[in-house]
Amino acid sequence: MDWQAFALTLRLATTTTAILLVVAVPLAAVLVLGRSRWLPLVEALAALPLVLPPTVLGFFLLVLLGPRTPIGRGITALLGHPLAFSFTGLVVGSVIYSLPFAVQPLVAGFAAVGPELVDAARLLGASSTRVVFSLLVPLARRSLITAAVLSFLHTVGEFGVVLMLGGDIPGATRTLSIVLYNQVENFDYAAANHTAAILLALSVTALAAIYMNGQMRGGRRA
Amino acid sequence: MKLNRFFPVFLISALIAPLSAQSIRLAAAADLQPVLPPVLAQFQLATGIRVESTYQASAMLTTQIMNGAPFDVFFSADLGYPKRLIDAGLAEGPAPITYAKGTLVLWIRKDSGLPPPSLDLLRNPGLKRLAIANPERAPYGRAAVAALNKLNLYEVLKPRLATAENIAQAAQFVDSGNADAGLISLTSALTPRMASSGSYFVIPRDLYPPIEQGAVILSKSQQREQAHKLLEFLLSAPVQDELAKSGLTPVH
Repeated sequence: MDWQAFALTLRLATTTTAILLVVAVPLAAVLVLGRSRWLPLVEALAALPLVLPPTVLGFFLLVLLGPRTPIGRGITALLGHPLAFSFTGLVVGSVIYSLPFAVQPLVAGFAAVGPELVDAARLLGASSTRVVFSLLVPLARRSLITAAVLSFLHTVGEFGVVLMLGGDIPGATRTLSIVLYNQVENFDYAAANHTAAILLALSVTALAAIYMNGQMRGGRRA
Repeated sequence: MKLNRFFPVFLISALIAPLSAQSIRLAAAADLQPVLPPVLAQFQLATGIRVESTYQASAMLTTQIMNGAPFDVFFSADLGYPKRLIDAGLAEGPAPITYAKGTLVLWIRKDSGLPPPSLDLLRNPGLKRLAIANPERAPYGRAAVAALNKLNLYEVLKPRLATAENIAQAAQFVDSGNADAGLISLTSALTPRMASSGSYFVIPRDLYPPIEQGAVILSKSQQREQAHKLLEFLLSAPVQDELAKSGLTPVH
């Protein structure tokens, strides 16, 4: 068992989830509360990673963030190395790749909070920030947990983006899914089964934990 | 209006045409992707047999064939994988047919800021990332590691290696500028795109065991006769000469 890859995968998933929540909560709030006619376009863009095959997304990032584009040159100057083949690069890829998995549950959860509550809070003089953090987030707490767990698990199982962007470097970009792929490709099926079992156990435990949390609260409402 | 009336006819004939022509399915190693399409087009012109090809890492193709992928012929980038299929009773023996030899080159982009490629470049501290194919399974990856070992550079360069899934991806890593240099196949280095954007150095042949590429006809094939024709065509002198121009060494 490759514990280094296991630790790296957990670190990648945790970092990605933390960044995604910071990004997705305001984004979902704007999508639910906002009035601009451009919002459907924003929502569509936020859902786009669902459409693109991960390897294609990984390839775009490899080229876009590589030293041959102005963006890539800026990043290279800033970090001292290209984003590809580094942990930071995988974090960037994972945040984009898992964005819909954080945004969609939050939009659903925020939208399920009654508009009369939002209007009442506004009438009482609450700012938009206050509406989001004192009203929407606490009431949609289960959606927040769902968003976090889905982002985490989606990143744990991420393969295509890592394959294209990673370069299989132990301790930096060799995640469990890459280890599993290597084991299968090298005809080492026993080790592959072992790795797959760990991935499955991790996912089932995490999912069961959220659903148990839902049951204890006596309902499945947002 | 005419278009409207005839469009369904066009559509139906376009859908039926591939079914009526003879066709075989080819599984081909990733290093053949820049080489094979014109050869296959000539083959279709000469024989009327269409070849539907899939390019992948040889290891991946072997796994797929072992699990029932419906290919007729397999062009591997080494002899080990086709041999494995013969041993498993999935391909015709007694041994894989060597159809070409691969050449390993060191390739860099012209705008990389590094000196022209040579063995000295591998010792240059300015070389931060070297792309290679996976040495555990990709034949060019094995050759790359063998050469680096022979030069006593493997341990030094190991932390700076970016390992690609197959040799085509190794070329992509360095072509996109993300790796400074790459140990890739001559077939990739000779493609118009990479020939214009970079330069290469042929790694001396005594530094790595020969990359002999073997082909097999798969036992489950319903089209063995056509598959054999393709193999004969590949081994014929004019086609072998063409392979040489694309970066593969002929077997004769």
